[in-house]
Amino acid sequence: MAKKWSQLIRNWMTQKMELPPDVMMDLPRITMVGQIHIYIENHRGLLAFSDREVRLLLEQGQLLVKGKAFVIKMILPEEILLEGKIDQVIYINE
Amino acid sequence: MKNQWISGLVGIVRVKVTGKGVERFLNQLTRNEILIWNVKRHGTEAITFQIKLSDVKKVRGPARQSECKIRFIERAGGPFFLQRLWTNSGFVLGGVAFFALILFLSNMVWGIEIKGASPATEYQIRKELKEMGVKIGKPQFTIENVDVIQRELTDQVKALTWVGVELRGTTYHFQVVEKEEPEKPKIYDAQNLVATKKATIVKMFVEEGEKVVSIHDHVKPGQLLVSGLIGKEDEKQKVAARGEILGETWYKSQVELPLESTFQVFSGEEKRKFYLDISGAEIPIWGFGKHEFQEYEEELNTHQLKIFKWKTPIAVTTKTIREREEVNRSYSEKEAVKRAMDLARKDIKNQLPEDAIVKGEEILHQSINNGKVKLSILFQIIEDIAKSQPIIQGDENDGRNKNDGNSTS
Repeated sequence: MAKKWSQLIRNWMTQKMELPPDVMMDLPRITMVGQIHIYIENHRGLLAFSDREVRLLLEQGQLLVKGKAFVIKMILPEEILLEGKIDQVIYINE
Repeated sequence: MKNQWISGLVGIVRVKVTGKGVERFLNQLTRNEILIWNVKRHGTEAITFQIKLSDVKKVRGPARQSECKIRFIERAGGPFFLQRLWTNSGFVLGGVAFFALILFLSNMVWGIEIKGASPATEYQIRKELKEMGVKIGKPQFTIENVDVIQRELTDQVKALTWVGVELRGTTYHFQVVEKEEPEKPKIYDAQNLVATKKATIVKMFVEEGEKVVSIHDHVKPGQLLVSGLIGKEDEKQKVAARGEILGETWYKSQVELPLESTFQVFSGEEKRKFYLDISGAEIPIWGFGKHEFQEYEEELNTHQLKIFKWKTPIAVTTKTIREREEVNRSYSEKEAVKRAMDLARKDIKNQLPEDAIVKGEEILHQSINNGKVKLSILFQIIEDIAKSQPIIQGDENDGRNKNDGNSTS
């Protein structure tokens, strides 16, 4: 419910307030807090998960996060919050 | 991120998933709107994560379709906690019993301290307190209010001028001020005895001093009765005149008494109710049902429960409902006069010292109008009319002229 609402609000906001079209174009939005948190919105599913590597499917290509001691703090269909020590964030375009 | 406290209340289950395609299984779960958190990898094939207890059933479907095995390995949160409590109910019971015991003991009398009293008075006070029910080991809510104790004590123990009663925690503190009854002075200063009232002397008993008046004499207030100067004319000696001079005095008393009157009295019927008062909300614990009194009076007695020295919002309230009755009293004329006389006698007794004797009484005037009896009565009283008056230097010649009244003033 909350997610639907948030999406509705997001749509409305981009239309009315002329926000940058990152959401409209289904690009991932990545927020990092230092090395310890990474929050990825707009992914399309989890491909691989281990404590050193997380691979996420995107609309176009994949996202690879490398680091140590990964724990998925929360996962929703389009959002994921990852915790641990993040070393690299890599886009893979085929 | 959603608040995990709420799911903590609902119950949390830790799930262990083993097999291939664990990530696909996870995606499946998230698409089924299952909230997943704390996903951890254990080795190559196993992961664990936490879900809400209410989502456990939703996990089963996707699990069957995937190639993974699931196991629930840890249960935490509200319902499981309650279950554990139930299995260890002994502990809970012990805790509650402990709390109840502390609550009970905190509301008991554990000490009675009396300060400022002589041993005799202290003993008397303790005896009186015991009679009132203030004893060590008594629950405080069975004991009267501090004010009531104070009043009772000052009434019952004659030697007390004032007693401060304070309940501090579980101890009653009594601060006593005793009446200091002055010891009767053994050595008297030189003094005369003079009359206090207008009277006729009935009897004289002089211990020391020289009589100035005799029996059947009329005296005025302040008149010299017994002189403290004795001896021969020129070399008088000063002594303390002492003695009892009984004189007949008169008192007039007016009494009015209605023939018909109504009273409010308690019939003796009462109903008691006990309440547990928790910060305003009253929970009846004893004494249910309604009373059937038409006229009644209510008395509330509230006792706040305490824990150690802190007050709890819980109070034990006792409500006493007493039935009131209206009583009509009517006297015949004869009765009314008799009653009025009784009243007048009582009234007179209150005005007189204890050793005075009522010698006679006479109705001066009696009338009945407007349903009221009016009496005016004259009482003949025999009482001690002597009062000591010190002899001051220079007034030495006063005793000489007998019967000259207020000579020493």
